[in-house]
Parts: sequence; structure tokens; C-alpha cells
Amino acid sequence: MTDGPDVAPSPPIGVAGRTYPPVPFTIEPERVAAFARAIGADPTAGVPPTFAAVYALWATAPQLFGDADAAVDFAKLLHAEQEFEWERHPQLGETVVSQGKVASDASRRGIRLISFETETIGATGDLICRSHALFVIRS
Amino acid sequence: MSERVVTFHRHQIAAYAEASGDHNPIHLDDNFARSVGLPGVIAHGMLQMGNLAVVAQEAAGGRPLRRLTCRFAGMVVPGDTVTFTAQQSRPGKLELRAVNQRGEAVLTKAAAEYG
Repeated sequence: MTDGPDVAPSPPIGVAGRTYPPVPFTIEPERVAAFARAIGADPTAGVPPTFAAVYALWATAPQLFGDADAAVDFAKLLHAEQEFEWERHPQLGETVVSQGKVASDASRRGIRLISFETETIGATGDLICRSHALFVIRS
Repeated sequence: MSERVVTFHRHQIAAYAEASGDHNPIHLDDNFARSVGLPGVIAHGMLQMGNLAVVAQEAAGGRPLRRLTCRFAGMVVPGDTVTFTAQQSRPGKLELRAVNQRGEAVLTKAAAEYG
């Protein structure tokens, strides 16, 4: 973008299709145990399925929230829907790599809907999890 | 059918924020939550979904979950009691529910697949 004279402020730029850099994440046993206790699961029973919220979703969604072009107001953000699909669940100690992508970014009647997808690859290069989050940003 | 009944407390919401890394102040700070139009702090949707997954795993009898989906339909605030249930709908498929103490669904379109 170049500076020009008398340019009107532009509205937020839609970021549909934007893919963020891959993020490595190590499945630390202590973190998994704390997470399991917080959801009332057995902390000795391996990686809870929704630990995908950590290694997939929250490993990547901050890239969207920190993207100046996306202009997401975090305080007005609500998590509206979530889906996970697993080929397998990660192992304790495994380092996985998650990559996030904005599948769609649309506004309807003052409410903005962002569909955010994350794919997680395991230590051996296999796809282990797909996450699909729908975020609503209230106006 | 598998069922669990959970009353959500602030310390549990704070523990989930710490363990998950989701430190959005709408889950931790009443004044902040009110400033953005909420009644006060609310539980993370993913904390509810985490509890839902636990009953789904029980109903799956130790077989791994392959898919889990839900819509976060209602807010859960400290003191709310939510009943999570999982019931087999077809082989390998579970219908899931999460209903608060007033009988309102807090998660909808909730389902899991396992095997």
C-alpha cells in the first residue's frame, strides 16, 4: 500500500482465503494433565480429544486475531460453532504442526462471521486433526 | 446413555483459561465482561465442549472419537448447572445434549462419531 493524499479511511479488509504460517506445538504431559483436570477428565488417560482446542485452534487463531488486516475486535468475539475431525489423537510428547486458514469472512446485518479452519499434522507427517471454528464478531 | 452433571465455578473457568491458553477477559473479569454487554464472566464454549467430549468418550466405550461437533447456543455463567448426555443414535454415532438447570440447551447440533 502506498501513501496517497486525501485517502478516505478504508473499511476492514476481508481476509477470506488467507493462510497463516504453520505453528509447531509440543503436547506437554503437564499441560495435558492440567487441561484434563479443568474439564473433569481423567488426567492419566492420555490426550483428551478437545485438547485439539489447544494444539489446533488456539495454536493458530491468535494469528487471525493479531492480523491487522482482519481487524478482529477480540472483546466482541464469540465462538459460535466448533467441529473437530480426527484421523488419530496425538501422543504425549509429540510435536505437531498446525496451520490456520480463513475459509470465509462475511458480514450480515452488522454481524461478522469468520469461518476458520486448522489442519494439524503429526510428527510423522500424517494429517491428524481438522478443526473448523465459526467466530461471530458482534458490532 | 452416559450422563454427567456439572456446576460451573469461577475457579474452574479460570483453570480452563490457564490450561487452554484462552485468556479472553470475558471469561475472567466481570467488569470487562459487563463493559462488552455480557451479564458478567461466562464459561468458555470449549470448556462446555470438553465436558461434552468426556460423556461422548464414556458412551464410546474406549473407542476413539473421530468427529465432534456442536453449536454454542447459550451462555453458561458461574453457578449454572449443566447436564451433559450422550446417547447412541446409530452404530458409531452419538447424539449429544447439554441442558442447563432451566431446561435450556446450551449446546445444540451436538454429535460425535467414534470407532
